[in-house]
Amino acid sequence: MWYKVIQIADWFGEMSERYKLVRDFNKAAKDSFINGQAATLLEAKITWGESSYRHAFSKFMGGGFRIKALSGRPMAKYELIEVGKVVVDNEALVRKLVSLGWDTLEVHDNHGVSGCKWALKEHAHIGGFLK
Amino acid sequence: MKYILLQIKADTIVVSSIANEITYSNNFWFWLAIIELVVILVLVFKLSHKKNNLAFSELNKDNLKKSQETDIDMGNVMKSINYSSELYKELSRKCHPDRFINSPNQKLAEEIFQEIARDKRNHEKLTALKERAIKELYITF
Repeated sequence: MWYKVIQIADWFGEMSERYKLVRDFNKAAKDSFINGQAATLLEAKITWGESSYRHAFSKFMGGGFRIKALSGRPMAKYELIEVGKVVVDNEALVRKLVSLGWDTLEVHDNHGVSGCKWALKEHAHIGGFLK
Repeated sequence: MKYILLQIKADTIVVSSIANEITYSNNFWFWLAIIELVVILVLVFKLSHKKNNLAFSELNKDNLKKSQETDIDMGNVMKSINYSSELYKELSRKCHPDRFINSPNQKLAEEIFQEIARDKRNHEKLTALKERAIKELYITF
C-alpha cells in the first residue's frame, strides 16, 4: 500500500520537474527575445516523440521535446541544426532530458515544413562520465 | 415503601462504583495517551535532528540530494544558441596554433584551441576561454 503511495508521489514529482524544465526553457527564451539578444523566439513543448528513439525511461505519449522557432520566415536547415546541436552538445541537459523521460529532440520552425529530430540516448554519453 | 428506599440506596451505590471505575479508566487512558504523545515527540525530534554527515565519509546527505537536482543554466543555453557560433569563429581564428609557431606560447595555444573546439557550442566556456586567451596569449579582440 505505502509502496503504491510512494510511487504515485514520485510520478507527480517527476511530472512537475518535467514541466519546470519546459517552463525554465520558455522563460529564458522569452527573456532573451524581449531583451533583443535573440532574433527568433523559441518555444518548447512536450510531444509524442519518435517511437523508434524510445528507451527504457521514455514517457508514454510524452517522449518528445519539441523546440519551435518563431522566426517569421522559413528557417534554413543549418539554422535548425545549429539550435538542436547546442542542446545535444550540452551533456548535462541531455542527461536530464533522458532521465525525465524524453527520448526525442525535435526542432522546427513555424513557417516551413522541414524539421530535425535527434535521438537523445545517442547523445547522453551513457556509460561514461560528464566531460 | 421500605423496600423501595432500600432499592434506591442499592442503585446509588452501584452508580457511584461505576462512576469511580470510569474515573480510574479515564485516568489510565489519559496517561497512556500522554506517554504515546511523548514517544511520538521524541521520534519526531530524533528524525529532525538526524545526523546528516555520513559516518563513513565526509559526504553530506543534503549535498548528495542537491547533486541529483542539477539545475540547467537556460540563460547560457539561449546565449549558446544565439552567439556561440560567432564567438567560436572569432576565437578559433585568433587563437589558432599556426599563429604561434616557434613561439613560447605554442603549446598553450594548442591547448586553448583544443578546448575551444571541444566547447564550441557552450557560450559560457567560450567566454572563459576568451578571457584566458587575453591573459595568457596576449591577444586583443
